[in-house]
This record gives sequence, structure tokens and C-alpha cells, in this order.
Amino acid sequence: MADKRESVRIKDGQQLRVLDEAARRRRQRKALEALEEDNFSEDPHADLKMSKKAPKFDEGIDSSGPGPKKKRKSRGDFKLRYRKTFSALLEEEHMLNKDGPTYFTACAPPSTLPERHFCAVCGFPSNYTCVQCGARYCCIKCLGTHQDTRCLKYTA
Amino acid sequence: MATLILDNGAGTAKVGFSTDSEPKIIPNCVTKAKNVRTRIFIGDQIEECKDLSSLYYLLPFQKGFLVNWEIEKQVWDHMFSKDVCQVDFNETALLVTEPFFNFPSIGESINEVIFEEYQFQALHRTQAPTLSCYKHQTDKVTSGSLFGTLVVDSGYSFSHIVPFYKNKPLKEAIIRVNVGGKVLTNHLKEVISYRQLMVMDETYVINQMKEDVCYVSTQFKKDISIARLKYPENTISRDYILPDYTHIKRGYVRAPEDSGKAKGDEQMIRMNNERFAIPELLFYPSDVGIQEMGLSESIMHCMTLVDKELVPHLLNNIVLTGGNALLPGFQDRVFQDVRSMASDDYDVGISTPSNPLTYAWQSGCDLALDPIFPSMCVSRHDYEEHGHVACINKFNVS
Ligand SMILES: [Zn+2]
Ligand SMILES: [Zn+2]
Repeated sequence: MADKRESVRIKDGQQLRVLDEAARRRRQRKALEALEEDNFSEDPHADLKMSKKAPKFDEGIDSSGPGPKKKRKSRGDFKLRYRKTFSALLEEEHMLNKDGPTYFTACAPPSTLPERHFCAVCGFPSNYTCVQCGARYCCIKCLGTHQDTRCLKYTA
Repeated sequence: MATLILDNGAGTAKVGFSTDSEPKIIPNCVTKAKNVRTRIFIGDQIEECKDLSSLYYLLPFQKGFLVNWEIEKQVWDHMFSKDVCQVDFNETALLVTEPFFNFPSIGESINEVIFEEYQFQALHRTQAPTLSCYKHQTDKVTSGSLFGTLVVDSGYSFSHIVPFYKNKPLKEAIIRVNVGGKVLTNHLKEVISYRQLMVMDETYVINQMKEDVCYVSTQFKKDISIARLKYPENTISRDYILPDYTHIKRGYVRAPEDSGKAKGDEQMIRMNNERFAIPELLFYPSDVGIQEMGLSESIMHCMTLVDKELVPHLLNNIVLTGGNALLPGFQDRVFQDVRSMASDDYDVGISTPSNPLTYAWQSGCDLALDPIFPSMCVSRHDYEEHGHVACINKFNVS
């Protein structure tokens, strides 16, 4: 542990790189976006689309039900017509729904309870903030781990 | 005419006929498995997959809203087929749920898919909490006041606090907390990957571990001190053995007295403060930097937005639903928090249905039998005659 401490001091003495406010916010935003991700890695079989069991798009579902088979042309283009990103939907809502309760008004407001802080490394309550990146840590040991593995190791 | 009930959650769809006693629970997604190149898995077909490591998910929902029909259509086709429900569209009405404040264009897409692609005979669109409120009111015949019901629905994408006056949702007082099961699992993946073992691609496994060992604390500070101790004083720590899908088919908790190092080739995760710190996000979203009130604080905030006369009724009639209500300690925590924040003049009454995940679906079955139900539906004829307007006028959505 003594070694770690020393290495920290040498680093400090040479050149202290500190993330500015904008970079910290960027990093925080990325962390929040990561919480919404469906997958971490890329699709391993991006080329693989259909199973034999799955009905093909244009077959519609006329072939499955036992009812009388109607000749009917599926307007399969609905999948594209209704394909909107979430941000596009928000924008639309913003334009069309000016008054009355909306998706936006329903969002919980910021908490009035005092914020709690936990060590990024071990998860226990933390009293210290890394001066370089703003992450929380609880002890020298965790600070060392943080500096060796995260901190400025990846740039936001 | 039969009625199919579809509680179309972003995590799982609950589907079945109103005459069924239980719904089928179908993962609302298409999955690809790392080691299976020959096929994809639609919904519950994933049960046929022997190796559930490194699954790749295609989800029709984004932030709780249905945005990708390319995927949803595959899941619905499968659910309506003989493999799951065997729907005869010529003889069936559909009751389907959607989130509060669903966007109008998504609503239109649902109308169109239901009536034009599938040709159901009739449609009723509503929200899961509205169904839950209906069942809570009809089940609770003995109690006094049913003027107000407060449904807390904590699901996959987010959690909603929904106050009702009788059966009517008070939309101006609905609160959405953007924390649900997905955020919990993703955060757990993140902390385990940093602290112990790279599991960022193991959503399925880690979600199962979350369901197996996480709980909601009712004594957070005390649990933190216990988690700092060593075995046997540390009564919280659990060693969780991960599945390898050859010898170990499913993850499991090792008995505390056997805890220690991993044996042989097995992979082990030690769940200590993570067991309760992860579900804390439901109550303190700010723990991960989401600047929103948590569930209990949101309940109290909701009380400031409704008619004062209704507050005692709501606080005494809180119903907890959604998958996160299955976390041990969830109800105790909500009670403890609300009791401590609410005025002593009010009674606080909270209940959790025996299955909070399928409660809305069960309620849909009851509603489908209610004599008023047909009048709540838009028929295919109405839709063909009047289009989306018929639906806008009939359903209390968006
Ligand atoms: Zn620490
Ligand atoms: Zn740092």
C-alpha cells in the first residue's frame, strides 16, 4: 500500500491531469446511457434473421389461424411507417401535446433527500472524491485500485 | 366470443384467454445465442436453448415504449400461434395494455396491427395499473373506503405511482420513476464486472442472480455494517455459483457454511453489499446519478398533487405490483418509508397481491367477464368505419 501511495504522489508531482466539468458530465451521461443498454457487445450473428419456425413477414398470419382463410394483402409496411426512435417520439409529443399531463410532466422530480455517496470500487459508503475525475472512494486502498483501473484510464 | 388478455410488458408479456387460470409468461424479445448459428429464439422459445450464456437481445421496447414492430410482430405472431395461445381471430376480442402517456402514434400502430394485420374482432386498450385497480376494488369487498387506490407498478423499464379516484386514474398526479428491473440488472452487471468478474454480456445469468439473492433492505445502515464483517458475523454475504451450462445448468447460492473460494473450474460471484445496494436504486435513483425521487418519496410527492380529501384513502389503499414487488422486503420498505413520512393522522395500508407480476393480467380476466366490458371495446366494424378516432374516443389512453 505504501508503494501505491508513493506512486500517487509522484504522478501528482509531475502533472495532474484533471477532468473538467464538461468531461465529468459527459462521463456521467455515458454511465446513465449504459444503464439503458439492451446489450453490451455487438450482435454475434448480425446476418441471422429468421428461424424456420417464425412466419415470414409477408405471409402475415393468415396461415396460422384455423378460421376461414381470407385473401388479404398485408400492409406489412406498417413496420417501417411506425418505426420511430424514442427521441423522435419525444419530439413529436413535445410539439403536439402542449398542455395537460404528459410523459414529460409525469417524470419524478429531483429528490429532496440528502445525496448518498458510495465507493466506486467496493460499494461501501464513501467520504472522499477523486480530485482528478470526481469518482468516489472510501480508503487509500480503493483509491489505488481506482487509479490503476478507471480514473483517467478511459476517456469520456 | 373469446377474449384474449395481453399484458404487454417491456420485459415479459403475460398472455392467455380470460378463461385460463394462469397466463403464459413470454419474454417480450427475440434472442440470439452465441453458440447457435442456425436459428433465433422468439419469446419463450429461449427455453429450448441449452446454453444461456452471452445471449444477444432484440427488444421491441425502448425506455418502456413500443418502438420496433419488426421484433414485436415476431413475438406476437408466436404468442397467437398454436405454439402458445392458438387464437382464432374471427372469434376473439383482445384486451391489451400499454404504458401511461403512451405516444399517439404508437397507439395508432397498435390499432392498425390488431385490426388490419391480425383482424381481431374487438379491442380494448388500457394500462396495467388501471386493471390492477379494478381487481383491487372488486376483490376488497369487505373493507370500507374504495374512493382512492394507489397502484405502485414497478416493472422492467420504469416504475409508476398511479392514484385512482374510484376506477379513474388521476393523470395529472401520476409519477414515473425511471428505474425498473432493467436498470437494476445493468447496474449489477456493471459493479460485478468491475469488482469481480467480467459479466457484461451475461444479462440472463445476472438477472437470474439478482432474482435469486437481491433484497430490499429495511435497515440500510445496519446492513452496511453487517456486510463489513467476516463470516460468520457477516450474515449477508452469499457465494453464488454461476452456471457453465454443461455441468451446472443454473446458478445457485452455496450454503453460507460452505462459502469460501471457488472449487475446481467453477465461477463464483460473492454477493455482499450488492445484495441490497442494487435494489436501493428504486428508492434512491440518485445513488447512480439519476436525479429523480425514488418510489417512497414519489408516493409522498404524489399526495401533494391530489385532492386533500383523497389522501387518507390513497395511503390506506396502496397496492404493489410488477416484477420488482417480488423482491423480498419490498413491501416492508415502502411501508416503513411511507409511515415515517406521512402524517400520524393517516393510516397506511399496503398490500401485495400473491403474484404481483400477473395481477394485472388476472384483473383483465375479471374485467372481460364484467357485463360492461363489451361497451369498453371498439369493434372491427367501428374501426373500419371510423378509424383511429373510434379508438381515441373509447379508450382512456394517452
Ligand atoms: Zn472502497
Ligand atoms: Zn479518479
